[in-house]
Amino acid sequence: MLEVRGLNAGYDFLQVLWDVSLHVSEGEFVALLGPNGAGKTTTLRTIAGLIPPMSGEVFFRGEAIGHLPAYRISRMGISYISESLNLFTNMSVQENLLLGAYAVQDKRKELESLDFVFGLFPRLAERRHQLAGTLSGGERKMLAIARGMMSNPRLLLVDEPSLGLAPNLVQNVFAALQELRQRGVTILLVEQNVNATLEITDRGYVLEQGRIVLEGQSSDLRENEHVRSAYLGL
Amino acid sequence: MEGSVRGSIVARIGRSLTAAIVLGASLVAGVAIAIVAGPAQIANAVVTGGMWALMSVGLALVFGVMNIPHFAHGESFMIGAYVSYFVFTPVHEYLKDNPNKFLSTVAPFAGILAAALVGFVLGAVIEKLIFYPLRRRTRAQWVMNAFLLTVGISFIFTNGATLVLGPNFRGIPRYWDVEPLQFLGMRIAVDRVVTFAIAVITLAAFWFFLRRTRTGRAIRAVSQDEVGAQMVGINLNFVHTLTFSLATSMAAMSGACLLFMFQAYPTVGLKPLYFSWYVVMLVGLGNVAGAMVGGFIVALLQMATQQFVGIAWEDVVPTIMMILVLLLAPSGIFGSEVKGVQEQ
Repeated sequence: MLEVRGLNAGYDFLQVLWDVSLHVSEGEFVALLGPNGAGKTTTLRTIAGLIPPMSGEVFFRGEAIGHLPAYRISRMGISYISESLNLFTNMSVQENLLLGAYAVQDKRKELESLDFVFGLFPRLAERRHQLAGTLSGGERKMLAIARGMMSNPRLLLVDEPSLGLAPNLVQNVFAALQELRQRGVTILLVEQNVNATLEITDRGYVLEQGRIVLEGQSSDLRENEHVRSAYLGL
Repeated sequence: MEGSVRGSIVARIGRSLTAAIVLGASLVAGVAIAIVAGPAQIANAVVTGGMWALMSVGLALVFGVMNIPHFAHGESFMIGAYVSYFVFTPVHEYLKDNPNKFLSTVAPFAGILAAALVGFVLGAVIEKLIFYPLRRRTRAQWVMNAFLLTVGISFIFTNGATLVLGPNFRGIPRYWDVEPLQFLGMRIAVDRVVTFAIAVITLAAFWFFLRRTRTGRAIRAVSQDEVGAQMVGINLNFVHTLTFSLATSMAAMSGACLLFMFQAYPTVGLKPLYFSWYVVMLVGLGNVAGAMVGGFIVALLQMATQQFVGIAWEDVVPTIMMILVLLLAPSGIFGSEVKGVQEQ
């Protein structure tokens, strides 16, 4: 479904990604792991079209999307949920969600998606008229994920959903991702919480200093000596 | 957490206190004007206020959505005035020889509508020709570069108008040749009533557009989080061009509406530009809702100055007020909905 081939990318004169290749198949739940500053976020931002690649190509369902603007990529069915969430803080929860369905022209589909995400996150339904900026950290994460779901995406790129959350909320967010996956959404997840991530994902990539150094089934990665010592502290 | 919540509440009360003081002072000024000079002057203030509001909403929007401190906004006003003049006058001349009641009622609207349309197209052209290439080249130093560009645009339009049309005043005494309306014992020219109605209807429609429509929501989304807007599939270029077009169109419309008060000449936009900047500074940069109220506050202040200090002080007193606002409440009396320049 998604294929990244020989991607080099970065900011101005600073190259962050070096020859990164990865793929995600339909229905898969894939993790992208690595230490701070390895380039995980840059990878997602490049796929989402917020940074133009220096070289290499990104294919989505067979189409090259490397040089399309972000809004076109979003409309093709890739939803990016960023680390900083990028919510519209001075708008209500419901307005944020309706904007998530901006590209959906069909009013009926829009309402269906609204029901779907309110079913997934009942807390958001309770707070639908509250301003997004007044939500708690966990609720904001839920809102960002819910907004990303409103366009009915085929592929979800999720950046560090557990960052800054209390442990019980992290479990909520992970449960929500698993639920989405069961409903057939393909997910590429970036996380620092390696243990929990490898438990719920099918496959994983390890990115270090802008290069993919390891890839494999999540269960195999958990047994891998390098992963155990560097990320799991075992 | 506790501290920050309390801090924000104190800040909010402090802000609404300033707002309350300013609103209260405007009310007192309004009553004073009504007593001393009669209600007709209040009607004047309200008409100009509506137009300042129309100008300032565009200014606030352009700053909020595109981060452009727009100093060529007065030239949109000037062009609107000219367009309306050149559409209205020939029809008016024709009507002198061939009286037609229907046509003389409709002709002014044609002038104002033409001004709004020309403004809309002109806004799109300026955006695509000037700001779009700059945005593609670099976002570094954006606010400064954009500011300099708008000053340049203003220069070109003002001098272009002098070159092509000459420095003479072109004006009309009134749009509608009918008896003034009697209202609460005062006589108000129909022009003022209609102008005020146009301002209110346009502002209300614009408010509805921003709050309730998909495209309006997209404009607000871009002003709050540009990256987030792209992530949900909003085409930034489209929103930027539309915003600039709407702002230019509203400024041109107010120029057309106020033709009977201001006339049309190359530098006619200077005063409206200053006053709409005063409004925007008073209510907070990028605050569209505040700009609607602020237009009336500034117009009242202007009128109060004329009445109580003297007409020569009309520009001085508001300027002093703005210095005070910048010193005491630099983010404006209502605070700003926009995160502002440092975001970029």
